[in-house]
Amino acid sequence: MTNEDAQGSTAEEAQSKKGLKKQQKEAEKAAKKAEKQAKLAAEQQGTEEDDFAKDQYGNSVMIQSQEKLDRELHRIQDLTPEKADKLIWLRARVHTSRAKGKQCFLVLRQQQFNVQALVAVGDRASKQMVKFAANVNKESIVDVEAVVKKVEQKIESCTQQEVELHVEKIFVVSQAEARLPLQLEDAARPEVEGDEDGRATVNQDTRLDNRVIDLRTTTSQAIFRLQAGVCMLFRETLTNKGFVEIQTPKIISAASEGGANVFTVSYFKTSAYLAQSPQLYKQMCICADFDKVFCVGPVFRAEDSNTHRHLTEFVGLDIEMAFNYHYHEVIDSITETMVQIFKGLRDRFQTEIQAVNKQYPSEPFRFLEPTLRLEYTEGVAMLRQAGVEMGDEDDLSTPNEKLLGRLVKEKYDTDFYVLDKYPLSVRPFYTMPDPSNPKYSNSYDMFMRGEEILSGAQRVHDAQLLTERAVHHQIDLEKIKAYIDSFRYGAPPHGGGGIGLERVCMLYLGLHNIRQTSMFPRDPKRLTP
Amino acid sequence: MALKELSSLEKFLGLKKPNKYSTQGDNKVPVLQTNSGPAVGLLTVCSHLVKEAKRPELLGTSAEHRALVQQWLEYRTTKVDGCSREEAKTVLKDLNLYLQDKVYLAGHCFTLADALMYYGLHPLVVELAVQEKEQHVNVTRWFDHMQHYPGLRHHLPPVVVLRNRVYTSGHH
Repeated sequence: MTNEDAQGSTAEEAQSKKGLKKQQKEAEKAAKKAEKQAKLAAEQQGTEEDDFAKDQYGNSVMIQSQEKLDRELHRIQDLTPEKADKLIWLRARVHTSRAKGKQCFLVLRQQQFNVQALVAVGDRASKQMVKFAANVNKESIVDVEAVVKKVEQKIESCTQQEVELHVEKIFVVSQAEARLPLQLEDAARPEVEGDEDGRATVNQDTRLDNRVIDLRTTTSQAIFRLQAGVCMLFRETLTNKGFVEIQTPKIISAASEGGANVFTVSYFKTSAYLAQSPQLYKQMCICADFDKVFCVGPVFRAEDSNTHRHLTEFVGLDIEMAFNYHYHEVIDSITETMVQIFKGLRDRFQTEIQAVNKQYPSEPFRFLEPTLRLEYTEGVAMLRQAGVEMGDEDDLSTPNEKLLGRLVKEKYDTDFYVLDKYPLSVRPFYTMPDPSNPKYSNSYDMFMRGEEILSGAQRVHDAQLLTERAVHHQIDLEKIKAYIDSFRYGAPPHGGGGIGLERVCMLYLGLHNIRQTSMFPRDPKRLTP
Repeated sequence: MALKELSSLEKFLGLKKPNKYSTQGDNKVPVLQTNSGPAVGLLTVCSHLVKEAKRPELLGTSAEHRALVQQWLEYRTTKVDGCSREEAKTVLKDLNLYLQDKVYLAGHCFTLADALMYYGLHPLVVELAVQEKEQHVNVTRWFDHMQHYPGLRHHLPPVVVLRNRVYTSGHH
């Protein structure tokens, strides 16, 4: 035999040795796999066999109104120790679910209320049912039948602290996707500077992009319920004062506040504008003998401002009324209404205010009765005393407004006040000039926490004076002909003002960004959702 | 600017005859001709004026005190003069911490350090908003004390300091 041959044969031997080893390994693997499969099969058989609770849980068919079930679904907020040992049905969202051995703890949530629920292996629930419950995705909507049980130790983390539910049936009515764009717990977490744990919070853009989920937090629910309260109190108070609610057109032919910040829309063969305020129509209603009117509706301002307090579309709460002899009658009416709103919020919406404060702590809103009214010149004097340099007829810049708010708060202990008799030069053309001093006007602004919420005035109700003022402001008379005409057939002296709903809510609650109080905010950079 | 400051200092020190100053270089460093030669630079000139007025205690009473006064004089010309907005923030923050438990910058009495730091800090403090003045409460207190010190404030407009706090803690 040659060396090659010898090598060849050893190689063969080696190969066969390797081959043997390989074969052995593969055989082992196969054996293991077979064992596993057999085990699984046995288990599965076992599970199928043992699942006595098969009909007590699962995914419901989509509710397409197939049947009218005569079943009462309870509210979580009504679950108290009085209902102990009662078997009830309820529909709620799965807020959290946590499996622990033979038990699964769920927190079920309805709006601001939540309750602990327990699925435990026993004679009612099988192992498979507990597993199913633990795997239901967060935010899914479930129908649950459970027994209300009183608990010995208070459950601090839920709103319903004295009871928990022992679940007998659980069905998923609407499943949420496993990956949520934001976690509700993160969205409801207060932002603390320098938090060592580094727990996540959600930034504003993410919230606004996924508004549907963000609005589910207790804080959001509270904010918008309070906002609804403001509208309700506004209507209630004014209706009780004899005001009539009117609706004004939003598609108009001429820009009411000036041409710069107005949205243009195409109107068949021509163009029209979206109303910047219901100003002109409110006044025409007064000339039409409605005496005292208010309206609640959208206001559109095409201001390219990306600030914490500007939106391109917001809800305006506007008031206009005829008065007898002095425009202070109007100021008094408006401030009384505002005070009624503040009182109403304080007395009837305290739960909501506390819920918001949990995430966004702030000082309670303070106001005086009767409302504090300062003259513009007094405000300027206070600012000068604090070192601010400004002219007598200068408008207040935003930082100066805020500083004046702090000075007034420190001196008078109020977050709400009126600044009366603004300089004429900084007000719109339809503002009535001050009879005793041509440099000033019968106009006023109202402030909450140092930020302006209302601009108002006595209006010019004389067609001739109105024309003069319009000419002085270089406004095209043709464009406002209809408006001026309404004063030619007898018009009473009148005045009014308008507030922004979102701004009032933001400032009342001490929040810092108007997007928090606008459900689906509109600004120069946001058109959706 | 330096010349106005020197003239104010002369008035404060009670020097009857105002000196004639010249300036040197692009930075307009003040120069005073004295019997023992030219005194060049703000600090040198000021020290000379203090000696001229026979008020050596304004430069410090003990060796340690004198060193502290010198330190603050140097701080004035190196850190305060010509600083940017960012640097000014740091200066005010550091000073606020330092002045937490002190009435005067060096020791327990008024010294040249207080005078020159007051002159030097004026352009920074005059720009501060009410809220910032409240944030740097110790600097504001010291500054208000200095601007009311008899005879010190001549060429500088007074800065308004409010009696009461207007911004409660936690205000945004």
